[in-house]
Amino acid sequence: MRIPGTRTVIEPSFWRSALAAGMAAMICAGCGGQSAPEGGTTLQIKGSDTMVNVAQAWAEAYHQVRPGVRVEVSGGGSGVGIAALLRGTVDIAASSRDLKPEEAEQARRYTGREVRSFVVGHDALAVYVHASNPLEEIAFEQLADMFAEGGRIERWSQLGVTIPGGGDKIIRVSRQSSSGTYEFFREHVLGRRDFRLGSRDMNGSKEVVELVAATPAAIGYSGMGYHEPGRVKMLRVSPGAGRPAVAPTMETAMSGEYPIARSLLLLTLGEPEGEIRAFLDWVRSPTGQTIVRECGYVPLTPDERAALTAGR
Amino acid sequence: MSGGTASPQPFAPTAGLLARRRRERLARGVFLAMTVLMILPLAGILGYLVVRAWPSLSWSFLVEAPARGMREGGIWPALVGTIDLVVISLAVAAPIGVLAAIYLNEYARDNWVHRVVNLAVITLAGVPSIVHALFGLGAFVYAARLGYSILSASLTLALMTLPVIIASTREALASVPRSFREACWNVGATRWQTIRAVVLPNSIGGILTGIILQVSRAAGETAPIMFTGAVFYKAVRGGTLLPYRLDEQCMALSMHLYTLATQVPNVRPSIPYATAVVLLAVVLLVNAAAITLRLRVRTRPKW
Repeated sequence: MRIPGTRTVIEPSFWRSALAAGMAAMICAGCGGQSAPEGGTTLQIKGSDTMVNVAQAWAEAYHQVRPGVRVEVSGGGSGVGIAALLRGTVDIAASSRDLKPEEAEQARRYTGREVRSFVVGHDALAVYVHASNPLEEIAFEQLADMFAEGGRIERWSQLGVTIPGGGDKIIRVSRQSSSGTYEFFREHVLGRRDFRLGSRDMNGSKEVVELVAATPAAIGYSGMGYHEPGRVKMLRVSPGAGRPAVAPTMETAMSGEYPIARSLLLLTLGEPEGEIRAFLDWVRSPTGQTIVRECGYVPLTPDERAALTAGR
Repeated sequence: MSGGTASPQPFAPTAGLLARRRRERLARGVFLAMTVLMILPLAGILGYLVVRAWPSLSWSFLVEAPARGMREGGIWPALVGTIDLVVISLAVAAPIGVLAAIYLNEYARDNWVHRVVNLAVITLAGVPSIVHALFGLGAFVYAARLGYSILSASLTLALMTLPVIIASTREALASVPRSFREACWNVGATRWQTIRAVVLPNSIGGILTGIILQVSRAAGETAPIMFTGAVFYKAVRGGTLLPYRLDEQCMALSMHLYTLATQVPNVRPSIPYATAVVLLAVVLLVNAAAITLRLRVRTRPKW
């Protein structure tokens, strides 16, 4: 069937090969479903942006230990992870804050099960300033006066600080409201007062440190594990005027001297079983805890470890 | 006019002609400048990326899994994830889109239903990808109970590319002159025979181009897959050909680039750039394939 004036270039063989290619693609996609070479179980962890790096390191190492189990890690914030857990779309939620009572209530109402939480490490929340900032320590009151609603500190000169690069106005760097870090800072440093408007709210722990590193007049809070030596400085923090300021280190966070340390949690819906249980146990084992330390977080204290083995 | 002779040459350029030539040169210059200006950013981006990425670019970067908290190793799981997502989303969107476009262009009468469908297609094509992402989360992840998975993510991408495929296919079909169809009908061919023998052969190039351009779009999108099935990290051995099941989540290049840039502390700066180069290379390869394919099946209508 040739139409005068046109050259029909598509041969029937083209259609056949196109069809074959299409079928092949479908089969490929299909067999991806049945015969994945690694097969096995997948564990889904979702939640805290603070914990994605340590969760990623766990997933990487656990794959070596148990090749049959593949751990998927995604972020979004503690709130996002908990919401997904309550909807039953993930196995484990990672959270850098405690479960809120209303979330526990929701879990009971929608799923009829309790949320179980497991402490898997600790994180010291560091207050970062630019490396060139002469400030060395800061107290809770000053932080609250900077970050909270109704605060009065807006300029570095109010703290008696001159920024070498110029710029006196304090650039406050904060987090998005679904972040567990945001909640924790609000609860423990701002005394549950709301954040003042006008801060730069970043979507990740690393972004906070990056912005502070690039802005001489900035101050922000983020996990101790995100420290970039030479570009930013971690301030010593005092829990109240007159009380000693403590530098964030592994030791001070473990001993409880450093005032803004928090627990890192993995949450499950109901009592974990099977592979989930095995993974949680491994995370709290010496191997899992070594990874916590390597990632710049604080491992479980000896007391917590002891309680763990006693409970089993 | 030189020499100051009294008798003007008969074909000497008049003032008007000179002015026209000047304007012509000016117009040509402006258009050329704009064309060059358009190439500059592309060359700039490519050059900058490759230079920054150079220390990390290697074969092992392609085929290895990320290691040591993504600070070392390669991007294999993300590369395969992106390919999976794109292939499955196109396998869904392309047949539906092309067939729907054929119906709309060849069969549908011009009545109010047709106009509403048209409007729907155009509107859907203009919906921002983040809205598609939210819809995918609600419809596929939660309502259809597919969970966070490659399937959810691919279907979301398919939904996003579908209206554009319909629109571009319709354009291609509409470029076949009506007289061709009429000639065919007049010798007694049915509509389907006409479509198969006349309309499709004359428009296949345009249809394929439209589809393949959507590959680059699907490969580059982050929002729809971030909400529905792309993960920050998944433990996968490097070099395995089909590391994912359809009901699992996967890593993807665009998402990987985002997490490298926003989450991973103290990462070597060349790694995010190398990831960007690979993503760009995938898109360019697909586009090159589109051009080759189109050249091979191109019909050269002489009307």
